[in-house]
Amino acid sequence: MRTYAPAATEVVLDRILDEEPSLAGGVTHHAVIPARQPIWVDPPDWLDPRIRAGLGERGIDRLYSHQAEAIEAVRAGNDVVVVTPTASGKTLCYALPVLQAIADDAAARALFLFPTKALGQDQVAELGDLSRAAGLEISAATYDGDTPAPIRSAIRGAGQVVVTNPDMLHSAILPHHTKWFQLFEQLRVIVIDELHTYRGVFGSHVANVIRRLLRLCAHYGSRPVIVCCSATIANPLELATTLTGRAPILVDRNGAPSGERHVLLVEPPLTDRATGARGSAMTVAHRWALPFLRAGRQTVVFGRSRTAVEIMLSTLREALRQDLGPRSRVRGYRGGYLPLERRQIERGLREGEILGVVATNALELGVDIGRLDVSILAGYPGSVAATWQQIGRAGRRGGTSVAVLVASGAPVDRYVVHHPEFLLDGRSEEARLDPDNLHVLIAHLRCATFELPFEPGEVFGPAAADELLAFVAESGHIRQADDGRWYWSSENFPASEVSLRSAAPENVVIIDTTLDRPRVLGEVDLFSAQVLVHERAIYMHESVQYYVDRLEWGERKAYVHKIDADHYTYANRAVTLKPLDVFGEAPAPGGRRIHGEVMVASLVTLFKKLKFGTDENVGWGPIDLPELELQTTAYWLTAEGASGGWRRNELDVALMGAGRAIQTVAAVLLMVDPRDLGLVTQVRSPHHEAPTIYLYEAVPGGIGLSPRLWERHDELIAAATDLIRGCDCDSGCPACTGPRLEPEIDARALALRLLAQLSADARQPVEAAS
Amino acid sequence: MSGATLERRLANYRATLAAGGGEPGDRRDGGVGRGSIDLGRRLAEAVDGELVLDPGGAVVRCEPATVILPLDRERLSGLPGLPPPGVPLVCLDTETTGLATASGTVAFLVGLGWWEADRFRQVQLLLPDHPAERGLLTRVAAHIPATAWLVTYNGRGFDWPLLVARYRMIGSAAPALGGHLDLLPFVRRVFRHRMTDARLRTVETELLGTHRHGDVDGWQIPGRFLDFLRGAPAEPLVDVVRHNREDVRSLARLLGRIDTDYADPTARGRAPRGDLAGLARAFARDRRLDEALSCLEAALTDRAERDAVAQPAAPEIDDDIAGPGGRPWWHPRRVADVGGAQRPPAWTRVVEGRLDSPWTTERVAIERARLLRRMGRYEEAVATWQDLTAGGGAVAIHAWIEVAKLREHRLGDPGGAFDATARAVALAERRRRLGMGDPVMERALVDRLVRLRRRTADQPVAGTATGGTSGTRGSGAMSDQVARTQSRSGSNEQAIVRRSPARAFR
Repeated sequence: MRTYAPAATEVVLDRILDEEPSLAGGVTHHAVIPARQPIWVDPPDWLDPRIRAGLGERGIDRLYSHQAEAIEAVRAGNDVVVVTPTASGKTLCYALPVLQAIADDAAARALFLFPTKALGQDQVAELGDLSRAAGLEISAATYDGDTPAPIRSAIRGAGQVVVTNPDMLHSAILPHHTKWFQLFEQLRVIVIDELHTYRGVFGSHVANVIRRLLRLCAHYGSRPVIVCCSATIANPLELATTLTGRAPILVDRNGAPSGERHVLLVEPPLTDRATGARGSAMTVAHRWALPFLRAGRQTVVFGRSRTAVEIMLSTLREALRQDLGPRSRVRGYRGGYLPLERRQIERGLREGEILGVVATNALELGVDIGRLDVSILAGYPGSVAATWQQIGRAGRRGGTSVAVLVASGAPVDRYVVHHPEFLLDGRSEEARLDPDNLHVLIAHLRCATFELPFEPGEVFGPAAADELLAFVAESGHIRQADDGRWYWSSENFPASEVSLRSAAPENVVIIDTTLDRPRVLGEVDLFSAQVLVHERAIYMHESVQYYVDRLEWGERKAYVHKIDADHYTYANRAVTLKPLDVFGEAPAPGGRRIHGEVMVASLVTLFKKLKFGTDENVGWGPIDLPELELQTTAYWLTAEGASGGWRRNELDVALMGAGRAIQTVAAVLLMVDPRDLGLVTQVRSPHHEAPTIYLYEAVPGGIGLSPRLWERHDELIAAATDLIRGCDCDSGCPACTGPRLEPEIDARALALRLLAQLSADARQPVEAAS
Repeated sequence: MSGATLERRLANYRATLAAGGGEPGDRRDGGVGRGSIDLGRRLAEAVDGELVLDPGGAVVRCEPATVILPLDRERLSGLPGLPPPGVPLVCLDTETTGLATASGTVAFLVGLGWWEADRFRQVQLLLPDHPAERGLLTRVAAHIPATAWLVTYNGRGFDWPLLVARYRMIGSAAPALGGHLDLLPFVRRVFRHRMTDARLRTVETELLGTHRHGDVDGWQIPGRFLDFLRGAPAEPLVDVVRHNREDVRSLARLLGRIDTDYADPTARGRAPRGDLAGLARAFARDRRLDEALSCLEAALTDRAERDAVAQPAAPEIDDDIAGPGGRPWWHPRRVADVGGAQRPPAWTRVVEGRLDSPWTTERVAIERARLLRRMGRYEEAVATWQDLTAGGGAVAIHAWIEVAKLREHRLGDPGGAFDATARAVALAERRRRLGMGDPVMERALVDRLVRLRRRTADQPVAGTATGGTSGTRGSGAMSDQVARTQSRSGSNEQAIVRRSPARAFR
């Protein structure tokens, strides 16, 4: 019998730490971040009295220091990048300059960019509330793929604040700029929120979209100020500079208050010392969540995958059902849910009607769900910035909040929970993008020529565009006319040939045929579809299980029906790799280090059926789907020195073990998500005819990580050796050399032996390593 | 194309330049080095036009032969949506480098035509090179007086927005217009029912009786111009110029045909039935209801010429086997039903009809009944609907329902409405026994009957009503329910009404 007496967050936490040794025992670090007092500043005198009155009406008499700093900088005509934690009143940093600009001149326009179309609605609502309170009639409207045609033309003509995403800007607004001339002529402020999401290939594309945007602004005679907002990353200024091509001012001194926050780093209990196996992060996260939910504390649990979310949701609901808890007030939230469902869940969270939510990182970005009491992370989200975004979901201004990070079996997770300074010392990773990537640059140069002919000598990106234009002209889509200008001379529409999210522009639609009238259940991207909705898979949605009857790969449709099964499915992805081109190569101890371009092929061939709870394998089946290919850059190393004196199966284990360790430390050294780096090992690479370890970038075209890995080769080998040597397992574990494939082989010793041969200090006897 | 190959290709390209392959500038226009003037000369020679040197650039101008095309503007202006007699008309058609009306699509050929007394004069302006666009657009503007009405085919959706964008690209405003007559909607409304599609070329064969020989297909046009820019010969553009000339001329001829055959009320009487019905719709849209009615009445008088007009074989689908996608399950063009908004019940589609469905006498009569109702001539509307009930089937049911609505709401005769509804019930019952039941409609009918019964409870129900109902003698569920309704007291009726699932349906 359990009681459901509501209790304060800190009371529940104390009770867990005192009375639940099985949970408390796993805590590797318990940090208490003290409450912060606000730093107030009076609103500046130049702020329009109507806006001041509006602020007053909404209970804002003074501004936080960072807000004042940001709006002063914008007032002085500077670009700004604002970096402050979640829920520190970032919206005002750009809402006030926009309102002021419109108060000064009703013709002024502003453009808001959010990374996806779902985001931004809350910020627009907030802007609308504030402008109404100020008595300023501002027409703010979202312009995205769902906007109906008649409303579109109204927005073009009269929308003072246009809210959109980079994809719409790229394919619908910029190519049709003549219809948007009022916007471009009067554009005063461009707001780029969630700046930190613009990295990698997507960021490189967006940087070029912004180049095109600013080019058109110049054509129409406007020079807007750019206000960027970002979560905490190491290089916000550099990122904003690269993305916008301008030199913004950094505002990062947070003046917002926050309540006391407990951050607990938790490691699941060791279940088998020999294999280093530990309990599942999901189970531990679930056990941490239950007491808080029972005490009526609003809790968010973050899972790392859609499947993880659905599994945790069903186990949480089951546990709450058994003891008659608030089962129906716990909901799931992830990418595949339809927008309306998501809005309803967000509202439920804000209004307190929904008590708990199990989510993927879909909830980590600027969706307004209010502030919750507890945030539990089942697994390290892959980056420090994402971790703090998820932790930041909990944090009430007045009271105490709790964040629990539960390590999964991944090596990086273990590293993080044992090195709290990594997370807590305010270091965080750098966001990288390469807007001058030739692929991306040329794609957008074509789009830009379509939009407006290039003047001779006109600069686009790094330099004058003439040489590249002449190069593109060779293929016939662009021509230089007699006046020296470069004109688009093709009937193609170049923007439709470029997808900003080049990974997988197409989605597979999931259709539920349980009822007479089929309905669309959700959608998944192509890459995920191969493992989630292959035929005979169990697909989970809102913790309801669906059986996939048919996957029409060509039509991008999966037909499912509801079933009730005691197992779930897990598909194996086989990855093969082929080097295409070498950009850099150098000798290294025991072999060579190389970086270049590779082709990675992913093939899903079979799936396993795993029982709920025990994960026991109860069957398998084949999957017949086409291979997906990824062209990207990679860093790899060969071990010519290790070709002799090894047994083949031992070398295989050693390469895999060493590779995993290198992958882990590479992710930590470069501060990237370890999932951004893929690992492939070959005992005898057909290309180099030697044992080879490849680390490839898991995004098409790469984001410039591999040359940096190539430069830091020696450091990687040394750190990987340290990682394995410092691990307290017997003969290799998931935290150092990865999951054990062949239990009778000592992966740890083999990996160390290989690394010793590869290390700069190769003359050292092998024995010294162990 | 991989990044590596792209890099390599760029490196190769640079190497070629360094090895003396020439400056990038020399490679323009496919390496031929022709200037705008040269392009213009070649183009002018090929299409038999003159090269005019404007400050905005060199433009090629063609002036096709004028044709005699009398147009009675006074008479024409009597039709709905057509321009008033005093204003100049400018027919316009463009050929472009693509179908997107976005900023990279250029109108390289603008054909213009206007009347000088009975003569239709044409001018075609061609762009020999990109930089000359300002010259082209300035000349086009000079041909469009500020009070002029533009006459186009799909110009509201394509040609004009494209030109507006082009003017904005050169930093000036598009010429002001007095009005814009896009003939496409008019053709759709009036002629679509007897054509397989509404393309201008179909209009020529079906309506104007002209055929084009060796005409260039629309999809080939952008490529021919772009090839010319890259150094190809100008001769393939000759066909394009002729195509454009014919397009503009067809606009004028179409206007002439509308003038002679449709603007004059007596000539109109000889028009096919469907044309008149479509014209009636056009008048009705313009709130000219009397003229709409006279069109419909003309359409309902029998005339030999009219019935001789062949109707295309429109795919008639028996309503009873049509599936949820509007087509039977075996039909190859059937649209799969994946949920979404609920369709209107099948019986409403019987009488709605689409632009391309044939205008049968029955459909015209329905149109007339609706128009009469809209004009407030309810008695006549009732009479027309009652005539329509003679045909039986789903149309008759719908007609009785309309009679019931008119009697109840417009003529203050709930008894008569009850009678009409009862007749509809009887017909629906019969259809259901024949396996053509429509549960939604039947429920709605019963609801209506129950409501009318309640309304007439105080007053004695007209004898015909009871007679009509008892005359059905059916043992079906509907008759039973109706009979129950009639025999029960008021409180029980309330209960039935409450139980009814579709009582919101009127």
